[in-house]
Amino acid sequence: MDEALKEITSKQYKEGFVTDVEQEYVPKGLSEAIIRQISAIKGEPQWLLDFRLDAFRKWQQMTPPTWGHLDLPEIDFQDIIYYAAPKKDSERPKEIDPALAETFDKLGIPLSEREVLAGVKSKVAVDAVFDSVSVTTTFRKTLAEKGIIFCSFSEAVRDYPELVRKYLATVVPAGDNFYAALNSAVFSDGSFCYIPKGVKCPMDLSSYFRINASGTGQFERTLIVADEGSQVSYMEGCTAPMRDEHQLHAAVVEIVVEAGADVRYSTVQNWYPGDEHGRGGILNLVTKRGICKGEGSHLSWTQVETGSAITWKYPSTILKGDYSSSEFYSVALTNNYQQADTGTKMIHLGRGTKSRIISKGISAGHSQNSYRGLVQMNPAAEGARNYSQCDSLLIGSLCGAHTFPVIRNSCPTAIVEHEATTSKISEDQLFYCNQRGIAPEEAVGLIVNGYAKEVLQRLPMEFAVEAQKLLSVSLEGSIG
Amino acid sequence: MDKVFVIGRDEIPSKVVLGAGESLRATFVALPGASAHLSLTVELTGEGAELDAAGLFVCREAENVSIEMNVRHLAGRCRSNQMFRGIADGRSRVRFNGLIYVEQDAQKTEAYQSCHSLLLSEGARVETDPQLEIYADDVVCSHGAAIGYPSADELFYMRSRGIPEQEARRLQIISFLSPVLSRLPEEFYSLIGFQS
Amino acid sequence: MSDILLDIRDLHAGIEGKEILHGVNLTIGYGEIHAVMGPNGAGKSTLGAVLTGRPGYEVTSGTVTFAGRDLLAMTPEERSWAGLFLSFQYPIEIAGVTMTNFLKAAVQARRKAAGLPELSAGEFLALMKQKMALLKMKPEFAKREVNVGFSGGEKKRGEIFQMAMLEPVLSILDETDSGLDVDALKIVADGVNSLRTPETSAIIITHYQKLLEYIVPDVVHVLKEGRIVKTAGRELVDVIENEGFEAING
Repeated sequence: MDEALKEITSKQYKEGFVTDVEQEYVPKGLSEAIIRQISAIKGEPQWLLDFRLDAFRKWQQMTPPTWGHLDLPEIDFQDIIYYAAPKKDSERPKEIDPALAETFDKLGIPLSEREVLAGVKSKVAVDAVFDSVSVTTTFRKTLAEKGIIFCSFSEAVRDYPELVRKYLATVVPAGDNFYAALNSAVFSDGSFCYIPKGVKCPMDLSSYFRINASGTGQFERTLIVADEGSQVSYMEGCTAPMRDEHQLHAAVVEIVVEAGADVRYSTVQNWYPGDEHGRGGILNLVTKRGICKGEGSHLSWTQVETGSAITWKYPSTILKGDYSSSEFYSVALTNNYQQADTGTKMIHLGRGTKSRIISKGISAGHSQNSYRGLVQMNPAAEGARNYSQCDSLLIGSLCGAHTFPVIRNSCPTAIVEHEATTSKISEDQLFYCNQRGIAPEEAVGLIVNGYAKEVLQRLPMEFAVEAQKLLSVSLEGSIG
Repeated sequence: MDKVFVIGRDEIPSKVVLGAGESLRATFVALPGASAHLSLTVELTGEGAELDAAGLFVCREAENVSIEMNVRHLAGRCRSNQMFRGIADGRSRVRFNGLIYVEQDAQKTEAYQSCHSLLLSEGARVETDPQLEIYADDVVCSHGAAIGYPSADELFYMRSRGIPEQEARRLQIISFLSPVLSRLPEEFYSLIGFQS
Repeated sequence: MSDILLDIRDLHAGIEGKEILHGVNLTIGYGEIHAVMGPNGAGKSTLGAVLTGRPGYEVTSGTVTFAGRDLLAMTPEERSWAGLFLSFQYPIEIAGVTMTNFLKAAVQARRKAAGLPELSAGEFLALMKQKMALLKMKPEFAKREVNVGFSGGEKKRGEIFQMAMLEPVLSILDETDSGLDVDALKIVADGVNSLRTPETSAIIITHYQKLLEYIVPDVVHVLKEGRIVKTAGRELVDVIENEGFEAING
């Protein structure tokens, strides 16, 4: 029985392979010189180097936040390689290395436009990021016909410097927090997306982040700008090889939503979670924030978090425009020794703003899973509304489920409502499934998927299917 | 019967320990006109211990009220219930911080907490931090918190019956506070400014 | 004194900037019972809301005279004191306030507005008892919180009981029959009939004809798309019963 279980748990992370590809690195460690080197490799303008150096100086003055309900291992920031990229074939600089193409194919990420158009793969434009660089961005031409810019962050800096400069760090300032400052100093690549006025993006856009090299961290930066009246659905996925040591992922995502625009941001986070003894796994410490800048703008966050050894993540929205609205739908599943401290902030500044928070936490094994949130109604947020529902499900007696919301109201015409429940997985439901011949592990997967349905059904179709499988797979070994 | 404590006037212990089979039923009141601070830890250390706590705050001017409740389930089969209701008017400041903690061995715990406030003026502020920290799995725990204003439909219903607006608003506040108010002796109606 | 209790002229009104009533004309004399019938969404409930001054509803033009006074200039409570009563389609729950305390507040305010002395506690309770007996309410009803935990039928009976307590000149019964079984319907109708006097009038807003078998209207109006498209005697009820609202056109 133990052997069988072991086999399942070792099998469960199917994305844990390593791609054998020649890479170039900057030396280990973090200093002004390293930052200058990264900036030079990327051929960046002076203003961006200045931005990085300013962030680095801020970061040096800061200390890592300790308020999370997390037992975070000490990170030696001098023991990380901040830039790693597959070497370009000098004879064929425009083509994707076949080893990389194969990697993304294995991960189910469609990099071939032809296959997508033939209907073999679903119609999604992808920016594929491998360690510190974007290897390709598909459907750029198709999108460009509508005036949509979708490219790697580095290319955006080169080709659209005024746009990047206008919006960079306007939502997450360089000194926002310890990890955001670190990212601002060393960020390597990521995706940039601009949807012009009144344009409805004809296909879903996505970024796929792959960590491959050992001893490195990934520090990508994503900037999405939806101009007035535009619409876009954006998806983010990520995986990494199985390794015994932790790897750091400190990303920043900034989203600007202008008047009447609509952005839907979905994440399926499947970084390597570490093994069943808590060895290895990604430390996922990210800052994601959007601003609903204009009247009637809308930003929706949907996340399914199953991976990472540690998750510290709070996709948040500043509701500045009158009558703007935002949602946060989250499923966070932790198993074995995983730890998650995740949630959202909804800051209501504008009149008639609305927000909704639905969070489903699932804890199994020895894991710790926390919801942390802030809902704030400022004095000018006349008639604003928030509703939050945070549920936690416990599977097994050795895990923990915690809820730490803060609600603040300074506006007598605003209403904030928060409800939370914590309970264990229903034995009646389990028995019912068992009686109908469904094995315990499968039954747990089924029940958890039902529990998370309200969130899962917000995901784009193909993402939802993937997320459902992930929830079941991630729970393997949770029933002894 | 309830033990009633007026915060800031009556002596309130900072920690109460409830052993097996023991129970406490208490109501804490922050009266209008005075700032008040309550910090109370209740530990349920024996099987079957029960806590039934309620609290009321009525702030009309510039009161500063803070309430910190730390309810710790350290043994199994205990129950706790906390219910707070209050209003913040004028330039008052209210902060409620309530933790339900359930230790790994405290199976079969039932723990509930609610804190509902009405924010009645632009100058007032209410912050509510309800928290659940749970390490046992066979539990039923919940918290609910809301900060809002009286219902317009309710107000219209009363006015349509001929109840003048001011009186209707008074009744609405009594209605809102009633789950806690009903646990208090009659004289509290006038102490908190609601002659019945 | 004129024979006219309520006079609505070219009333245009709506909610959130959307006009629902597009010029309603309606005249009701003392002692008359009028039925306002019509399909869903015709504006029936809006009419009740506008007459009682429900916040959120806006009158864009037209006049309403009630017992010689400009109704639209009055607050909801002033309209109540003047003798207007609305039986809510969805009565509001008020936790923690007993029916007794609620009605005491209403009755005393009304007496004060009329320049009458307040009732003593004893007098008030006697009045409650008398009206409860009239409507066959159980004594514990007085101690219950307003509409809290009431069944659909209890809520509607509670509304008629409040009507009995406040002795209105004009009662508007907004879909009082919806959700009631035949027995509950009879109790409500008996209550309304027993409260009827030659000086008091009623508007019965309904979608169905059932209630009108028990409370017989003098005049029947059909409201469609925000306008009264037909006015006739009680025989109109049968026409609607047999042919539906589609058959009624102005």
